[in-house]
Amino acid sequence: MNAIQKILLDQIDLSDETFSVNFMPDLQRLRSSIEEVGLIQPVLLKEKGDGYQIVGGFRRISIFHELGRMEIESKIFGEKEVDDFRLFSISLNENLTTRGFNNVEKAIALDKLIHYFQIDPTIVIKDFLPLFSLEPNEKILNTFLSLARMKEEVKRYVLKGEVSRSNIRKLSTFTPDDQMALISLFSFLKLGENRLREMLTIIEEISRRDRLKVRDIVHRPEIEVILSQKEFTPSQRTERAKKVLVDLRYPKMHKIEEKFEKKRRELNLPPNISLHHQPFFEGRGLKIEFQFQTMEEYRSILASLSNLTEKKEFQEMLGG
Amino acid sequence: MLPFQIERIYLDDKAEGDPVTQIILESLPNIPVEKVRDKRPLIKQYLSMQDPIGAGKKNVFITRFYGRWLKPCPGTSQHICCGYYVINAITNCPMDCSYCVLQGYLNNPFLTLYSNWDDLLEEIKSFLSRPHQPFLRVGTGELSDSLVLDSIFPISQQLISLFGERDNWILELKTKSAVVHHLLDLHPKGKTVVSWSLNPVHIIEKEEIGTASLEERIRAAKRCQEKDYPIGFHFDPIIDYEGWEREYQETIYSLFKRIDPKRVIWVSLGGFRYPPQLKGIVKERFPETKIFLGELFPGRDGKFRYSEEIRIEMYKKMLGWLREVYPDLFIYLCMESKEVWEKVFGWAPENSQYLNHLFDKRVKEFMK
Repeated sequence: MNAIQKILLDQIDLSDETFSVNFMPDLQRLRSSIEEVGLIQPVLLKEKGDGYQIVGGFRRISIFHELGRMEIESKIFGEKEVDDFRLFSISLNENLTTRGFNNVEKAIALDKLIHYFQIDPTIVIKDFLPLFSLEPNEKILNTFLSLARMKEEVKRYVLKGEVSRSNIRKLSTFTPDDQMALISLFSFLKLGENRLREMLTIIEEISRRDRLKVRDIVHRPEIEVILSQKEFTPSQRTERAKKVLVDLRYPKMHKIEEKFEKKRRELNLPPNISLHHQPFFEGRGLKIEFQFQTMEEYRSILASLSNLTEKKEFQEMLGG
Repeated sequence: MLPFQIERIYLDDKAEGDPVTQIILESLPNIPVEKVRDKRPLIKQYLSMQDPIGAGKKNVFITRFYGRWLKPCPGTSQHICCGYYVINAITNCPMDCSYCVLQGYLNNPFLTLYSNWDDLLEEIKSFLSRPHQPFLRVGTGELSDSLVLDSIFPISQQLISLFGERDNWILELKTKSAVVHHLLDLHPKGKTVVSWSLNPVHIIEKEEIGTASLEERIRAAKRCQEKDYPIGFHFDPIIDYEGWEREYQETIYSLFKRIDPKRVIWVSLGGFRYPPQLKGIVKERFPETKIFLGELFPGRDGKFRYSEEIRIEMYKKMLGWLREVYPDLFIYLCMESKEVWEKVFGWAPENSQYLNHLFDKRVKEFMK
């Protein structure tokens, strides 16, 4: 490698992304830094024909380009000086020490190691996963490889939503088109890790059991209506959309719930008395909760409770 | 040819001198043997694999066991259980049923064979000599299949002989295998029940990998019945899916075309149930499985089950088809609540002790 040189930007092939792992780079901070203090670290280039290929520094070069600069300080590798895999490793190490990688970038890097540079997976597991602060095992490697294969919009969702590895694995079990359909719904909702896992599971199970396409599930009219309600917060939309999906997933339980609800309404209980069934209707018995503040309210509650014994609906609910 | 594949034998150096170890090694002559002093790094190595459970099933680990061999079946809380006892001379199973709860329990993935049989037999003899209730049922199919490994680890023959000497115990060998030839010339004296877990053909094909086909199991059951073994059947897990009714009914009718129902000691029914941690493991190992597509909810013991309504419907229908075949079949529910017993049978055992008493009665009547 030669000493640092200033290389004209128009000699650098910006379209060659062989060594790039960038995804949704945060350029704002880097741009401010370059504008304020200039380039701290030269970029890495490799001689390629009459020009240069970028090995490390895609973002810096991109910013220089935007700023209208003509040249950039670079360290140059000769065309045959170092093999491409070694150059890639140098580039990865350089980035790891300066800015780190987000999950999608790790995925892209691992995918390139396996599929472009043809590195044996056991070596990738042993030598590269720890480099990315990942546990060195097959499962983790496969999780990130599946992320690398996802469409751009899905990758963006995974990154923005800080989707966990287990949910990435879940998401990867869907086809690319299904993944797109899913994120078209999820981007309207407020989904933490558990809620996302739940939704993915429910939708997958409905799709498989009823042989429905994922897009037909997520674009159901009831869900579309919920998503179109501007007055709902994301949390409210999430709860309502989840209810639609749960009822679809558990139709028999939904019917039992509806029957119970109907009988409960017919009891006309005062608002300070609530009546509940056993969780998931497992076993007999009901639970009644009530609140009161005065002796009068208490007497009124007792009278209402006593009247329940005469009601047919209440007897039916008790299995009588 | 063995109905399973073994790639390697790991031998705990403490088990090297046991005669049983020689039996195992001689029955697997071409399999490489690796001696192990400390199994922990080996287990850790396997647990870091993509599919440690699948990998572990192809490897035998021979070691000694230092705990209690004979234990009450753990059963489940808040449900009626049957007072079974279990002997765990083997841990893990070469078969690979998608719904198997062992996938969620065992932190040692190997087919572990305990070579210190003398300790096992001594413990059983000592237990048998204590005063206790008239009949106790003991099974070997809790942490493995009772018969599938007999060709390399012939514990069943030892136990059949031991139980044949006693009046107050009955041994149950519960299996999905069809390998029974080694039992047919023994003299169990009616003290060993051989029982088969059954499911419709398409469930066996899709969800019970490495097991005998339904046809093979029925043929094996018939051979045992012809040799006067009391036989039993376990429809467990019963899976709810589109077409289940027709297929389970066909299975029952097909079974009893060949098997004499009067000489079936018991039939159990159990709906599919699983501890919560199992689902993630199963879906990773069997991504095409459909066993979780039914309506399953957490029960009072924390296990997921079909809703009570679905279970009652399934049991009632199964009961109806079984009673059609033979009204006096002894049928019981496995790990069910009193409420479900009542709705299915019109009555319920007061508690687990009472159910155990009914088993005692059944065994006595059957053996007359």
